[in-house]
Amino acid sequence: MDLNYKQFFEVMPAYLTILDRDLRIIAANQRFRKDFGEFEGRYCYQINRHRSERCEQCPAERTFRDGLRHGIEEQFKNLSGQEVSLIVYTTPIRNEGGEITAVMKMATDITEIKLLQNQLRESRERYRQLFEEVPCYITIQDRDLHIIEANRQFREDFGDVLGCKCYQVYMHRTEECLPCSVKQTFQDGQVHQIEEVVTSRDGQQMNVLVYAAPIRDGGGEIISVIEMSTNISQIRQLQSQLTSLGLVISSISHGIKGLLTSLDGGIYLVNSGLEKNNQERVKQGWQMVERNVARIKTMVLDLLYYAKDRDPDLEWIPTLMVAEEVCELMQGKAKEYGIDFQCAFDPGAGHFAVDAKAIRSLLVNLIENALDACRVDKKKNKHQIKIRLKGYPEFVEFEVYDNGIGMDQETRERAFSLFFSSKAGDGTGLGLFISNKIAQVHGGEIKLESELNKGTRVTIQLPRKGPGSKPASPKPL
Amino acid sequence: MASKKKILIVDDEQDILTYLSTLLEDNGYNTVLAKNGEEALKQMEAALPDLITLDISMPGKSGVKFYRDMKVDDRWKHIPIIIITGVSEDFKKFISSRQQVPPPEGYLSKPIEKEEILALVKKFTA
Repeated sequence: MDLNYKQFFEVMPAYLTILDRDLRIIAANQRFRKDFGEFEGRYCYQINRHRSERCEQCPAERTFRDGLRHGIEEQFKNLSGQEVSLIVYTTPIRNEGGEITAVMKMATDITEIKLLQNQLRESRERYRQLFEEVPCYITIQDRDLHIIEANRQFREDFGDVLGCKCYQVYMHRTEECLPCSVKQTFQDGQVHQIEEVVTSRDGQQMNVLVYAAPIRDGGGEIISVIEMSTNISQIRQLQSQLTSLGLVISSISHGIKGLLTSLDGGIYLVNSGLEKNNQERVKQGWQMVERNVARIKTMVLDLLYYAKDRDPDLEWIPTLMVAEEVCELMQGKAKEYGIDFQCAFDPGAGHFAVDAKAIRSLLVNLIENALDACRVDKKKNKHQIKIRLKGYPEFVEFEVYDNGIGMDQETRERAFSLFFSSKAGDGTGLGLFISNKIAQVHGGEIKLESELNKGTRVTIQLPRKGPGSKPASPKPL
Repeated sequence: MASKKKILIVDDEQDILTYLSTLLEDNGYNTVLAKNGEEALKQMEAALPDLITLDISMPGKSGVKFYRDMKVDDRWKHIPIIIITGVSEDFKKFISSRQQVPPPEGYLSKPIEKEEILALVKKFTA
């Protein structure tokens, strides 16, 4: 070897060795000698791998065989027994006649790079695991609201829907939501929060709290948005119980104020009757006291009744009676709004075991919704509400139909949720929620069919025998 | 001798109508009674009262609607109205949402003290 090449060979910052056909090391540079020791008379596999036999995949052997350069990643053990990761290249050394007389092996230490690669892989796996296993729905969306990634919980509940639009999957809509937190985040780069009702692929509705946050590239530009939705249905259910309690307390408090005034009245009539020796007034006053004490008693019992999970107060009553009472009450209102109000009652609908007060309020609620739907609909000249009652052997079916404003799919799906109202500031978001509850505690169900700008049909099936017995031919909601 | 002042009492509770009419008549007033806003309007058309006591929460035409009709009508807006109600929030919300409607002359929360109602009626019919 010329002196210059020998100097280069010696100082190269890599492990350089020259092997003969038996893989014996015939030359090695300074760095190799320092880390792997003296080489004279020894084979490369002895020194590099501490083996007594040749390696299964030996790049030097291949180079001897085919005369080409070969590369491989290998683990060597240095003098102190430490594993070193290396990238090894072999290249042939030929004599003047072109015959391969030796192979030069150059090994570059990549231990630190491997360490960093491993750390990066582990870190990626950790984040992947976190992304996959976090107990909420996570999607990553592009500017067109396509879902480009989704975690395990999302895929389980909403299906493998990569490439679909977010609103199609979550809301079953054909148009994007307004407002859309993902779009807002793309626009201003801020985190946005919104509460939604979404429907899983098996039809289960959930109240979710949605957070959208930007994902930026190295230049700070937003390339996608991560949307995280937490199921808060249980919190909402708890809230609904508290709300019901609040409503009951507020209504009872109002009632009590009236009762106390009436009691004051009775006492006044008794006292003033005694003073004036007016027996008729005393009698009238005493009746007032008795009546209002009885009402307080009922109210307190009601309060106790609501305080625990409420069971319906069942009575075996004629279905026609309930239907007629409610329709009589609501007919006047319909007339006031110029809405045609028709009733078709099956005279043989028979009896059912229900909490009459609760069922009356359920029907009033649904008819009030129908009235509102007609009242706000400016697209038709004539509006109509039809109430139908039909008796079946096992259950009774009420139907409230209106040709009012109707509902789109999203509104239909959210209609029974607590605090959801399609009536802007005029609704409390309680009506259909409570109606549904009433039907459920009777072992019945409410079915909703509606089309935007065409109308709505609500069907209520109630078992004749009350809770515990299902309708004979239950239909899915 | 001056003629007796006429008070229109509007409340959906029969017992409260009986109580207030007896109390006011015992104290030298004439009373006419109405169970809701529609009945009250009919009484107004028949003969104007000197004062109205009005409940807010009633079926049919509520006290809120009746109050608004009274206070925007030139024929009736001078008649003092004492609100007697168990639900103060609804009425306060209504008043604050419609600033063109003036506040009521008197306001009492149920249960009421008879001395208070008599003092207010006396004040506004003097």
